[in-house]
Amino acid sequence: MKRRLSMQVGLLLVLALAPSATASVPAKVALKGGKIIPIVGEEIDEGTVLIEQGKITAVGKDVVIPYDAMVVDVSGKVVMPGMIDAHSSRGLDIRNEHLGVSPFLDVYDALDPSKLYFEDALRDGVTSIHVIVGHNCVIGGLSRVVHPIGMTPDEMTDQPSVALKLSVAPKRGSDRMAQMATFRETFRELGEYLENLAEKKYEESLEKKGEKIKVGPDEAKKLGKDLITPEDYDDKHRNLVKLTRGQLGAFVYARRAGDVAAALSLARAHGFFDRTTLVLGPRCYKAIDEIKASGRPVVLDAQLLYREENPVTGKITETFLPRVYADAGVAFSLLPSSNTSLAERYLNYQAARCVRNGISRKVALKSITINPARALGIDDRYGSLEVGKSASVVVMSGDPLDFSSWVEQVYINGVRAYQRDKDIRLKQLLGEEKPEVSKPADDGKKDDLPAGTQKDDSHDNIGGGKSKETSKKAEKKKG
Amino acid sequence: MIETKINQDASPQRLLCASRRAVLVALVVATLGAKLQGSEKNTVVFTDVTVYVGNGDVIEHGVVVVRDGRIAQVGANLATPSGATVIELAGGSLTPGLIDANAAVEPTDRMMVDRRSPRQVVADLFHGAHVGHRGGVVGCCGSRCPRQLQHASGKKCPLCGFPEVRPGMAVGVRRSPMSVENSSEVIPQTRVLDSVNLGSADFERLLEGGVTTVFVAPDAGAVISSQGAIVRTGGRRGDRIVRESGAVMATMGTEPSRGGFGNNLPIGQFVNFYNRRPTTRMGVAWVFRKALYDTARFEKGEVVYGADVPSKPAMRVLRRVLAGDVALRIQARMQHDILSSIRLAGEFGLKFTLVEATEAHRCLQELKETGTPVIYGPIYIDAPGTRRFTAEVERARLHTLRALLSAGVPTALTAHELRDEDGLARQAMYAKRFGVSLADVTRCVTQTPARLLGLADEIGLVSKGKRADLVLWNGEPFGGVSRPVVVMVGGEVVLDRRKG
Repeated sequence: MKRRLSMQVGLLLVLALAPSATASVPAKVALKGGKIIPIVGEEIDEGTVLIEQGKITAVGKDVVIPYDAMVVDVSGKVVMPGMIDAHSSRGLDIRNEHLGVSPFLDVYDALDPSKLYFEDALRDGVTSIHVIVGHNCVIGGLSRVVHPIGMTPDEMTDQPSVALKLSVAPKRGSDRMAQMATFRETFRELGEYLENLAEKKYEESLEKKGEKIKVGPDEAKKLGKDLITPEDYDDKHRNLVKLTRGQLGAFVYARRAGDVAAALSLARAHGFFDRTTLVLGPRCYKAIDEIKASGRPVVLDAQLLYREENPVTGKITETFLPRVYADAGVAFSLLPSSNTSLAERYLNYQAARCVRNGISRKVALKSITINPARALGIDDRYGSLEVGKSASVVVMSGDPLDFSSWVEQVYINGVRAYQRDKDIRLKQLLGEEKPEVSKPADDGKKDDLPAGTQKDDSHDNIGGGKSKETSKKAEKKKG
Repeated sequence: MIETKINQDASPQRLLCASRRAVLVALVVATLGAKLQGSEKNTVVFTDVTVYVGNGDVIEHGVVVVRDGRIAQVGANLATPSGATVIELAGGSLTPGLIDANAAVEPTDRMMVDRRSPRQVVADLFHGAHVGHRGGVVGCCGSRCPRQLQHASGKKCPLCGFPEVRPGMAVGVRRSPMSVENSSEVIPQTRVLDSVNLGSADFERLLEGGVTTVFVAPDAGAVISSQGAIVRTGGRRGDRIVRESGAVMATMGTEPSRGGFGNNLPIGQFVNFYNRRPTTRMGVAWVFRKALYDTARFEKGEVVYGADVPSKPAMRVLRRVLAGDVALRIQARMQHDILSSIRLAGEFGLKFTLVEATEAHRCLQELKETGTPVIYGPIYIDAPGTRRFTAEVERARLHTLRALLSAGVPTALTAHELRDEDGLARQAMYAKRFGVSLADVTRCVTQTPARLLGLADEIGLVSKGKRADLVLWNGEPFGGVSRPVVVMVGGEVVLDRRKG
């Protein structure tokens, strides 16, 4: 996705937006007088959100505002929690790398803070982004949750090591048999590695004591098991061990309906079922019963409308996918689209589409706030406007489901990270501000070529009289 | 200029059909008139809706009475005639059926669905299974792909997205060059109607989006392309064709010179007059000028000679363009292409309608001075479809429509080939977001295109006497949570989603 305006402007914007850790930001902010959508609980027509030291300390109609709080008047506007992108590969340089099984990779190494995607996310009111590798893998690597502000991956990071990405849909060039065989081999090899490690640890422990090994390998493996410490694992296996012990989330991608069962059985077999979030392609809606029965959170692909052609009659059936999940009572998260559509890139518009197709407003708004927070395990801090949660708050000019509403202000952990009236790039796109034009060094007075230059001008009058003038000038100079 | 002021087809056959039809209607009315007198069988009433008339007026608690395919009454709090079919929707609003003045319509809905595996298609291409007559590899989209190597190596084709063809993306998503006649770059004698498939599912897509009338635009592959056609997107098949041959489409810019890749032919073939194509804007302008210049000579009975002489059938159409009988459209995106269009048309004293006009905000003065109407759209920053490969879309902005309307340029909005979330209703939604008022936006998709197409007497407004092409929305039209729920074409309800 290309932007036409200079990178310098972009960097300037990022600089303007990034709060430094030691900058003096108001410790207390009161967003007063706006309509509040807390997501959990009833909407408040006119109220105040109080932020102190980066946390929400009060939400309600009548909030006592401390004398030293910066009061921001948001009357006529809407205050809601920052939206959450539950699955994005757009902050990385490439979505996937060639190796199928790569649990030792970490998106931290590829995170690019200068990506325009982050600037757009902030502009669109997304305050938490789950950066994760794409679907083209077997086991893809470690993800993390970031804020769309900061000049380095460290500054951006909110939560490192959130989940491993797995895909039951085959990596490109492979097929499902090979994909599942690779999974089996990977976990078998992990078991073998752990046994060997246990044996080695037992031997080492005996060496330290100066004793000799007296038992067979099987016994040694059993005895050494409890001697293994987390530092002993190598990169290649560390994250897999965590995964099987429920210490890491698992985002498992299923492309078609049959993949859902495979994903769930894989998760059950290897100990990460309770940490699994299903990332579902459009066709998976047909497995809704299994999905519901599993009780696992679901992240839906950005393509919300699925068209299927009957191979015999040619008739096309349309399914609005979130409706299937909403009707079944499955908690789902929506994603912004990365295609060229102007509207689908907004998470709140994806929610509006849900309401348009018969889903309740409450469910639609949850699917872009608290549901992704729960799927990511960050709902203790994000996803709703509740006392004690981190103050990641968005102020919109109108209702989030109204496409004419704009994001006016964004607060991330209590710091105002975005203000629309200072958004230079947006102004330029909307024709509200002319870009700076650099002036020539000598103010453009000298428009003549150096003396003696052969001029290539035609004496036809096609270009108007100008060519004659310049050639006359040259003649004058010569003369 | 309002195009097609005299573009009603004056062929004898059609006149005969028209007179026959008139007689038939008179007979039917005479015999059945007595029986149906007093009965409201043909009457449909929309009650308690907010009516957006199309010219900016809004009627609260509006009632619209439709009788015999026409709007019989419009007003606030009118009485409902008894026996009429009542359509009501709480909180609903009514607009005229939307009119897309520059729609690219997918001719077939099965074309894009290649049932071979992508690997098989690549293998076929590599082994020359489908090599175009002018050389070059033909993608599964049917177009002769300039990026021949990319087809062969399995990389994504910029024209059709091959090899990522998937069954679900067939309908209305890809433009097919079946409407681009590649035999010459001056082909105004051809009519796009001949390659339009009225049964295409793309029309259903349009209808679901609230669009009831479209000008089917030829593709931009030729310098002077085919004549467009105006068709309805639904309703009785006999009623679908509104105008068989409309404005002639011309293009300035990159696309008509894309065929110039044919000038680099594989070994063994030579470039000659039969397959030479322009490769630059100079070439495109030359072809345009030569065609009109030769037509002017042809008209005077003088000898037409030299390279790139247009065919006689082409000149017979172009002389009607010069006379002002056939309207001219020019698609131009960039500022210099727009200014070139104004200059070129001015050389022949021609009025034209500007189409797409991505950088119109940079040419407002010139457009205002020449009184050139604009069919603007779609609205984008990241250009969708094949536009992306023209290098003409770099300076797209979001405020262009607002700037055009503020400058007083008559502007209609179009979605061209885009559908669903980027369809015409959504283009209007975008325009609203980027600063155009609801009244102006409604006009851009109803009254203004109706006027530009010369159909202002029939469609474009919810007012007495007009055709009953109406759309009922479940909320304010062009909003994020609203969509067309009932679509009526010629008094007949063709879509009713009130339960869904």
